Amino acid sequence: MKFLLTAAAALGLMAGAASAQSRLETVQERGKLLCSGHNGSYLGFAEVDDQGNWEGLDIDLCRGLAASLFGKAEGHLDIVPISWAQRWPALQSGDIDVIIKLSGWSQSRDTELNLAFSNPYFVAGFHVMTNADLGVESVAGLDGGSICVSAGTTTERFLAAYVEKLGIDVEIIVFESGDEVRTAYFNGRCDGLTLLAPPLAAARATSENPEAHVILPDVIALEPEGIIVPEGDPKWLDVMNWMLSSLWFAELNGITSENVDEIKANPPSAQIGKFLGVTPGYGSRLGLSDDWAYNLITEVGNYAEIYDRNIGVPYALPRAKNNLYTNGGLFYPLMVD
Amino acid sequence: MISLLRQKSFRDTASQVGFIGVLILLVVTFALTAKTNLDAQGMTSGFGFLERATGWGVSFSLIPFDTNDTYARVILVGLLNSLFLGAISLTLATVIGIGIGIMRVSGNKMAELIGTVYVEIFRNLPLLLQAFFWYAVLTTLPRPRDALEFGGVAFLNGRGAYLPGLNVTGFSVFLAAIALAVTVGLWLWLRSARRFARMAPHIKKAWSRGLWLGWAALAVALLWAGRIPETPLLSIPTLKGLNFRGGIRVSPELLTCIIAISVYGGAYIGEIVRAGFNAVGKGQSEAGHALGLSTWQTFTRIRLPLAIRAVMPMLINQYVWLFKSTTIGIAVGFVDFFMVISTSINQSGQTLELIAILMGGFLVINYSMAWVLNRVNDAIKLKGTQLRT
Amino acid sequence: MDATLPRQTRLRALRTDYFSTRLDTLVTLGFGLLAAWVLWSLFDWGVLHAVWSAENREACGHGAEGACWAVIDARWRLILFGLYPFEEQWRSALACAVIVLTGGASCAPWFWTARRLAALWVAGFVTFYVLMRGGVFGLTEVSEQNWGGLSLTIFIFASVTLLGMPLAIVFALLRRSQLPWIARTMGVIIDAIRSLPLLSIMFTFAIVLPFVLPGWMIGDKLHRVIAGYALFFACYQAEIIRGGIQSLPGGQEEAAQALGLGYWHRIGHIILPQAFRNALPATINQLVITFKETSLVVIIGFFEILASGNAAYGNSEWNFAHVEVYAFVGLIYFVFVFALSRYGAYLERRMAVAER
Repeated sequence: MKFLLTAAAALGLMAGAASAQSRLETVQERGKLLCSGHNGSYLGFAEVDDQGNWEGLDIDLCRGLAASLFGKAEGHLDIVPISWAQRWPALQSGDIDVIIKLSGWSQSRDTELNLAFSNPYFVAGFHVMTNADLGVESVAGLDGGSICVSAGTTTERFLAAYVEKLGIDVEIIVFESGDEVRTAYFNGRCDGLTLLAPPLAAARATSENPEAHVILPDVIALEPEGIIVPEGDPKWLDVMNWMLSSLWFAELNGITSENVDEIKANPPSAQIGKFLGVTPGYGSRLGLSDDWAYNLITEVGNYAEIYDRNIGVPYALPRAKNNLYTNGGLFYPLMVD
Repeated sequence: MISLLRQKSFRDTASQVGFIGVLILLVVTFALTAKTNLDAQGMTSGFGFLERATGWGVSFSLIPFDTNDTYARVILVGLLNSLFLGAISLTLATVIGIGIGIMRVSGNKMAELIGTVYVEIFRNLPLLLQAFFWYAVLTTLPRPRDALEFGGVAFLNGRGAYLPGLNVTGFSVFLAAIALAVTVGLWLWLRSARRFARMAPHIKKAWSRGLWLGWAALAVALLWAGRIPETPLLSIPTLKGLNFRGGIRVSPELLTCIIAISVYGGAYIGEIVRAGFNAVGKGQSEAGHALGLSTWQTFTRIRLPLAIRAVMPMLINQYVWLFKSTTIGIAVGFVDFFMVISTSINQSGQTLELIAILMGGFLVINYSMAWVLNRVNDAIKLKGTQLRT
Repeated sequence: MDATLPRQTRLRALRTDYFSTRLDTLVTLGFGLLAAWVLWSLFDWGVLHAVWSAENREACGHGAEGACWAVIDARWRLILFGLYPFEEQWRSALACAVIVLTGGASCAPWFWTARRLAALWVAGFVTFYVLMRGGVFGLTEVSEQNWGGLSLTIFIFASVTLLGMPLAIVFALLRRSQLPWIARTMGVIIDAIRSLPLLSIMFTFAIVLPFVLPGWMIGDKLHRVIAGYALFFACYQAEIIRGGIQSLPGGQEEAAQALGLGYWHRIGHIILPQAFRNALPATINQLVITFKETSLVVIIGFFEILASGNAAYGNSEWNFAHVEVYAFVGLIYFVFVFALSRYGAYLERRMAVAER
């Protein structure tokens, strides 16, 4: 028996040895980033086009991260399709390196689930959309009806709490994937559809008859969406925060994927020179190459470009709070020094 | 040493110890690794989370549940839902299966053809695909205001099926159902146990009649005791506002699972029943005819009982297998055992503990189901050579 | 002279088959009408009022009377190939064709020895894998995360069968072992796994296994799910093989023993070949179920054909067209499963003849 225990402990130790490393080094050694995808489309954030390619804001952030780490995303990025409910186990087990899947910062996730959140990269409220011909003006009017929601999300909890607060009787129906939720609503399975505002508006805008649906004014909850990494890995979390910051820094300084080469050849200020890796420092402190921000902008552009490409242009949604502070939004870059 | 290795008894013992040793080694390795990994990630383990409130609701529950209830209770809700779904769909699958089986041996070519087409279609498509399909069909039914109506008391629309029901608490219905199960058990025992074998038929009949009457009286009493105050006993669904109120509502999710599993299971059971009929030799029914029994009597008294008994072991396997397929509930949003576990994992993060509960739950259910059905089989199975051809 | 037996004309046969008694006539007419109505409705919906091409998309929608096959026209490549890179999809198609050909070839009696069959399938599988994965012979590498559609379904099915079959033989032999402890432990393991739902096993292997395995054993999620499925398959198949062995007359093994044949010789040359022959119909049935149940990986989040079907109607342009997509995906499943089960029925008949 003692022998068995020793043998087992030896096998187990071989496992333990690897986990002391930061995920950053693990990813760099592997030469490939495993980023979370969706198990179906979530309009504007992850969609599958006619040719079977992933696109969307979340996907662009994955591409940007891969480019920051490896110079370019192509050949260095695997989008792993997972359902909402499998996010945490997949991250903890190492099936994916990072969750960029429109996940809100909540206390239970931060503490009990032992996850670490980056600064929010998207902020929006949850709203409910209903059929216009129901004549409902607020969520309270849906008493006795039903609302569809995605399984295993904060939405499920927020909605349950909100309905409880209103004291109405609403049947909440949960679905595994984003496609199923939307289909269920448009087929009339539910009176209401709860989603984050942008995908909700996108669903309305692209429906057969947008006028037939109204988005109710109630804000069920405002949610800040962050990039998620395992707790206790500050180096890896730093990369996330500085990648997001770089996207906003580039936007603030007018650096786009179009003009980034020009600016790099002839930087207008020492700070921007450092940002683009003309002078060293911006990357090496993070354990990345010094021109990583240049690679990032070349790959996906700045935040405005990402937003417009995935949400602004296709669904004609204004940026609202998801703008730089200079335009009345919530976002700001960190100091580049 | 070498002579020891040549000894058969030593080799046998050594290989057994080795085999079991390797298994234990594997399990211990898993446990130690799990502990290392959990510690490294600072994750809590243990079953303490079962006492915490969930904070999320479920759309279908046989017992009262709200967002302040605990994880333990939500798991119980899932378990009961799975059992409920299993009981209904297995019964329906048996009915459909017997129907299809009869069609396929009826001798009428048209009925045989349709039975064959049914079996070939529904047996050759994945259950999950069928569930998706039925769900799509059920949710595209008209909205409540244009519901399909059946005699003014039952309705079908995109929100589900609405049936007239009783205004009684779910608990009393549950008790009545338990009483029914006990009654069926007693009745089978009465019919088959050796102790009653020598009893005169009319006494036996009186006993079983008493049994059923007793159950009926008990059920009525239970339902009466459990009626909800200040409501009429019978409740008929009526359209109010957005939706129907009153009566029993079967949600499209539950309805989808019931239809999908019973249609799919019916095809399999139909094949088994057909095999059973084929196992009953022609001589048996010819003998029945010769004794002056009508075709109907021959069928109900001879062919059907013999056929069912002949294939009982196959049916038991099929039931266990079909019960496991209730896990497709997650695909259409029916809150079954598996879906509750999956959602709990995501909300609480206690992956290992919840998976252990899931596995344990299915082992207990399926083992006890197989045990009970095997008892039934032992009681009713054919003895000797009743299947002579 | 009057004929004592009525001549068997086609009309008479029709009459005995369909209209022999009044009840029979009633049944025939009832079912006939029902069948005619169903067929006509399907024809009306699926052909007469259908929209066939993606250019006429506006004609489809919630109000339309017929099927909207336009969705298949627009999204068939997504359904068949999933997330596989668009320019490389010919490889995915070719790989599927290779496996179908392998399946077809293994129906030929020439291949019916364990060695030939194994060699054929391993060769077919390796070709499939190289085509799909690439990275050699100038093919660009496509990692398994990007596999999807029919080829992923086939990949899962083929690897589960190839892994599970040898495992099943081992399990069956262990369970039949003379050594009581080995036989009993194996029995407990097999019965336990058989009473768990496949979905929960896949889920466990996908999500829980990484916690309990040492890091170097974890591997890809797809591989883990296949391993779990193979284990499940092996437990079912082991019982089928055991049934096949039990149906052999006991004298067979005793005779072999009396001739002084060793254990492996007995098992490999006498017991297993016959057991497999006896268990063939049940094995084919198990393969049919295995193929169908690959669809469960949708829930774990893989883009096999059912999931890529979901994605095909998942965008706002086509979200009303699920019935059409499911009909299309269902047809693909049906072709495979029906072919397999017909082949099983053919084998059964052939064996029945041989035994006469």
